[in-house]
Amino acid sequence: MTGALDGVRILDLSWGIAGPLGVLLLAEQGADVVKVEPPGGDPFRAYQGYAVWNRSRRSVTVDLKRTAGLDAFGRLIDEADVVVETFRPGVTDRLGIGFDALHARNPRLVYASCPAYPEGHRLAHRPGYDALVQASSGQQWEQPGWRMGPIFLHMPMPSMGAAFLLPSGILAALIAREETGRGQHVRTSLFQGALLYTTQIWQHVEKAPAAFHDLMGKSYPPGIHQQMLFEVEGGKWVHTSVMSGLTPTKSQDELLGLEEAPDPFTFMALPPEEREQFTVRRREAYQHHEREALVRAFQEHNHAVEAVITMEEALGAGGAPHPQLAANGMVVTVEDPELGTTTQIGVPINLHGTPGAIRGPQPLPGQHNTEIFGPLGYSAEEIAAFSTEVS
Amino acid sequence: MYALEGVLLVDFGQYLAGPFGPMVIGDLGAEVIKVEPVTGDGMRLAGKPFFGCQRGKRGIAVDLKTPEGLEIALKLVSRADIVHHNMTAGVANKLGIGYEAAKSVNSDVVYCNTWAYGLEGPLARFGGLDPLYQAAAGLEHEAGAVHTGNPPLYYRFGMCDAANAMLSVVGCLAALYHQRRTGEGQELWTSLLDGGAVFSSDAVLANGEPLPRPRLDAGLHGIDACYRMYETQDGWIQIAAVQEREWIALCAALGVAELADDARFAVADLRRENRAVLETLLGERFLTRTSLSWTRALDDAGVPNEVPVDTHGGELVLFDADNERLGLVAEYEHPIMGTMRQFGELVGFSETPARVHGPPPLVGQHTREIMGWLGYTDEQTAALRDAGVITWPGDEYPWTI
Repeated sequence: MTGALDGVRILDLSWGIAGPLGVLLLAEQGADVVKVEPPGGDPFRAYQGYAVWNRSRRSVTVDLKRTAGLDAFGRLIDEADVVVETFRPGVTDRLGIGFDALHARNPRLVYASCPAYPEGHRLAHRPGYDALVQASSGQQWEQPGWRMGPIFLHMPMPSMGAAFLLPSGILAALIAREETGRGQHVRTSLFQGALLYTTQIWQHVEKAPAAFHDLMGKSYPPGIHQQMLFEVEGGKWVHTSVMSGLTPTKSQDELLGLEEAPDPFTFMALPPEEREQFTVRRREAYQHHEREALVRAFQEHNHAVEAVITMEEALGAGGAPHPQLAANGMVVTVEDPELGTTTQIGVPINLHGTPGAIRGPQPLPGQHNTEIFGPLGYSAEEIAAFSTEVS
Repeated sequence: MYALEGVLLVDFGQYLAGPFGPMVIGDLGAEVIKVEPVTGDGMRLAGKPFFGCQRGKRGIAVDLKTPEGLEIALKLVSRADIVHHNMTAGVANKLGIGYEAAKSVNSDVVYCNTWAYGLEGPLARFGGLDPLYQAAAGLEHEAGAVHTGNPPLYYRFGMCDAANAMLSVVGCLAALYHQRRTGEGQELWTSLLDGGAVFSSDAVLANGEPLPRPRLDAGLHGIDACYRMYETQDGWIQIAAVQEREWIALCAALGVAELADDARFAVADLRRENRAVLETLLGERFLTRTSLSWTRALDDAGVPNEVPVDTHGGELVLFDADNERLGLVAEYEHPIMGTMRQFGELVGFSETPARVHGPPPLVGQHTREIMGWLGYTDEQTAALRDAGVITWPGDEYPWTI
């Protein structure tokens, strides 16, 4: 297989979401990833999503608290291009695998860290679960719901931000290494991942007029895009859009059966109370339409619309998968060693010259101990000694 | 030097999912030239979302539908390491800046298109806005707890645009690394639809059936009695008592130590099964004290927790001393808007420091210097402006930002 990152060797010490998912994006573009787990396995193994975020890599188990384990890890470092870790700041130094130690041993190593908070921040030693960062970063307070106060974000947004920042930083450092010949310490955090998604809403603009903050402002009930959600027949929902990039051949109101409806420009010019009256009629009209038929009719007439479904439905639970998601190669079958035949998302980055690919399911803990440590000269007894749990 | 020093990205994108990736690549040290229509990026009207995706770029305003404008665009492409845009199906080819055209003037270019839906397929001809993909990827269904009878809920962050952009950053840099090692450029693409799906990538079917995922309660507080927010006497607190010892400590700190011995809550699975009754029992306790009083008590007891912060629309984050000291805030001067702040360094490097960010460009702010760099004389540049092929801010500036 030839991926863009062919020959790049990554040691993945990370736990949780951001580290494993960030590494996945590199693994499936060709990087050779070895997950380094404690004896007994990654404690997050039972979590939802683990099988997806940890696929396309091999696994070794190493007890880094034992000298022999640390020595074996060092041998892996000698041949690695990248190491990824998600411990709290200071932990890797205590273990003897901090940036300074590993950089001295292998100056070409790119050392990537992704704790919950940046080193030196007053929050750096706070516990780092995703929802806690949602709270401390202010993201929960930004999300409107149907009650006042903060709203829990089901999607783990800080982790999902860091999952993109981590591979971006690693690749930038690898590109810089082509010039300098040296690796370096790349640092991001869940907190910075949270900041990533504030880009449209958090800006200080000295001379901005008051209206500047309106469009993306927080409001009760929730604002602009929320109003385009409509309930259809059977308590199901669709999200419509005013923009499709195409020229509609019938208006949305015509397709709803609202023949005498004003065109969008006339509508926007109506007094607010008349607009509201018409919106009530429109909401009523939606409820007489069957969801799939409505979506088809809208799309046939060049209106962008989506059924509000679960991700499981998008993958094909209870019917056909989302047709475009399937066309994108994003609905794939993976034979998982623990879960059996699974349907998961595919590879979301499409390089034409060097296509990415799934390199295999999640590995079992230590599945590749012999394959990886054997060629380094370790005997089966030695491998067992540093890679199994002390009872 | 910066991590991506010497890398030139030419950004033909408009709106959000196109321009945001180039902005992030610029933050990593690349030079980014924004090629904007002489009528301005369609997103300028929106204010904040426009600013959020444009800082640090230099801007040239060109009418790509004129032969002279196309020539300027191809000169830029010929010097680029990366070409990036989010035009809908067929538009770039029609303009003459599709991949084949780009390759003909720059054989090893990395060429990226951030689509709405994808390259090919039943909906590929559509453009579309972020909410469609929050719907399609199950995000609105889970965010609103539709399974409880609630309406769906749109995430206000508009983050499918950002996901598409960030996938394009990873893709472009992977392709650029490959190009640096082999001399081979290539075409790549990402989409809003796939970006949304990454956010829901914990969804898995086993033998066609959904594996259970944690779900929100109807009040949108959290996904487990021990991993949710509770209302306090004066506000809220988020707890994450995930491990067994944290659960026991939580009960003790709340003054209900007996719950730790209650058979209904003996293990995590039972606590999930009896979630509603447990949430009521814990909820009653949290209402008896203030948030700060609880956070101190829980800290002392070793229970992970945070008080959700109201940052007043980010202002408290952007003027926070720790964030300023650590470079997490960027400040720059905009010719019209004055001092601006936004998040700063999202990735730090020990040897190739973060770039000093500039403001978003005005329409055509750097047209003249870029034309000079491309080899046009001042006379040629002036004539092209008179002909309406290019523009830059003069006595009249018809845009508000």
